[in-house]
Amino acid sequence: MGLLDKFDAARQTRDTLCALPLNPTDVVIDEVVSATEAMIHGRHTIMAGTNNYLGLTFDSEAIAAGQAALAACGTGTTGSRMANGTYRDHLNLEAELAAFFDTPYAMVFSTGYAANLGSLAALLAPGDPVLLDSEAHASLFDGCRLSGADIFRFKHNDADSLASRLRRLGERASSALIVAEGLYSIRGDCAPLAEFAAVKREFGAVLLVDEAHSLGLYGAHGRGLVEQEGVEADTDFIVGTFSKSLGSIGGFCVSKHPELALFRYASRPYIFTASPCPSVIATTRVALRQLSTRPELRDKVWANAHHLYGALAALGLELGPHVSPVVGISFRERETAFGCWQGLFNAGVYTNLILPPAAPDGGSLIRCSVTAAHSTAQIDAIIAAFDGVCRELRVGRYAAR
Amino acid sequence: MTDKTVEEQLMALLSKSLDAGTALSPQTNLVGDLGLESIQVIEYLCEVEDHFDLAIDEGKLADVQTIADLACVIKNLQRS
Repeated sequence: MGLLDKFDAARQTRDTLCALPLNPTDVVIDEVVSATEAMIHGRHTIMAGTNNYLGLTFDSEAIAAGQAALAACGTGTTGSRMANGTYRDHLNLEAELAAFFDTPYAMVFSTGYAANLGSLAALLAPGDPVLLDSEAHASLFDGCRLSGADIFRFKHNDADSLASRLRRLGERASSALIVAEGLYSIRGDCAPLAEFAAVKREFGAVLLVDEAHSLGLYGAHGRGLVEQEGVEADTDFIVGTFSKSLGSIGGFCVSKHPELALFRYASRPYIFTASPCPSVIATTRVALRQLSTRPELRDKVWANAHHLYGALAALGLELGPHVSPVVGISFRERETAFGCWQGLFNAGVYTNLILPPAAPDGGSLIRCSVTAAHSTAQIDAIIAAFDGVCRELRVGRYAAR
Repeated sequence: MTDKTVEEQLMALLSKSLDAGTALSPQTNLVGDLGLESIQVIEYLCEVEDHFDLAIDEGKLADVQTIADLACVIKNLQRS
């Protein structure tokens, strides 16, 4: 077997997708109209499949700050902070993140993926036990694997499953790292962090929570699910991304542990990656300020979430267990999921089609997300599109009895 | 506990998440024959861990393809 023969399986997958009337993995957005609208295939489309939860991608202050940073500092840093220097605004953003999370230490990475890869690769060593939620994001798994740690999976969002695995580890449990997310990005379900924190305390383990999708949505200050669940004192490390609620790109880790400041000497994904470019740092700083000072954004996205979730539940669709800005709709048949997704697309609503192996339960899903920038009329249009597609395909409340 | 017993228990656990009548043998390949998605394999392994009261490091599963392979891993862990 030749080196390139391994791509036969990927080629087959690609060819299968390309044979569909519309390839869900290859949708080209021709023009971005606003935080909630785009031109796709010549059609004005409502974007209901982004991670732009606070709708800040077109925030005028953020754009102005980004443009000013481009003019003042240029297009890129061209190298890693360890070798090529730290820009003052890298430090400013880290200080602002630490203040926002009320933690003494913060570290910025170039992407959310790099934040997870870099934090876990620094934190874990070969042979360390790490307990990983079975539906944790690929970047968390990849970070654990890169570290050489011993990876033990526990059942998704199941504190008893976590506890039983720690119990089996015996004395090793006290040096174990527990890794979970706040809001899960496909079905929109939340981790039972208070229960996980109790298990962490019982076994003396360390807890890391990825707030990639929960930052800006949960907690009195918008810090995330850790804040909302009241487990900030029990959470040792929080990782997250700038590419969702903050509308830019990059990632972070914050912690009460002074060792976080040493990650930069131990994390290869950090050391050997070019640092975030000045315009990205500038827009992220403004977005973080907006998140902190405009709680009405949070109110709006939640109002939209309740509106959409309630309407889709009334349509008889199979939704995730929690109301959240991410609404995952499960389908037993892959063909039905695809038919619904394409019907929505044809009706001018862009959602995300999640097929195996990406779907959490091995099934097929349509992932729908709302933002603070969606108007009530846009949410109504999304609901009307779902109603039309369900009626046409006899899905949900329109299913044949 | 004999080899056969471990394999039978693994097949019984697996049959719970498969269509009724799916033929299983120790040589059944978890992915190649059954077409299980990775998340389904993870869920199955969680059930296996609970059933045998073992902690299975994923690194030990790198070479596991069949039910018999998995039985070997379990027996090694039970001995250690």
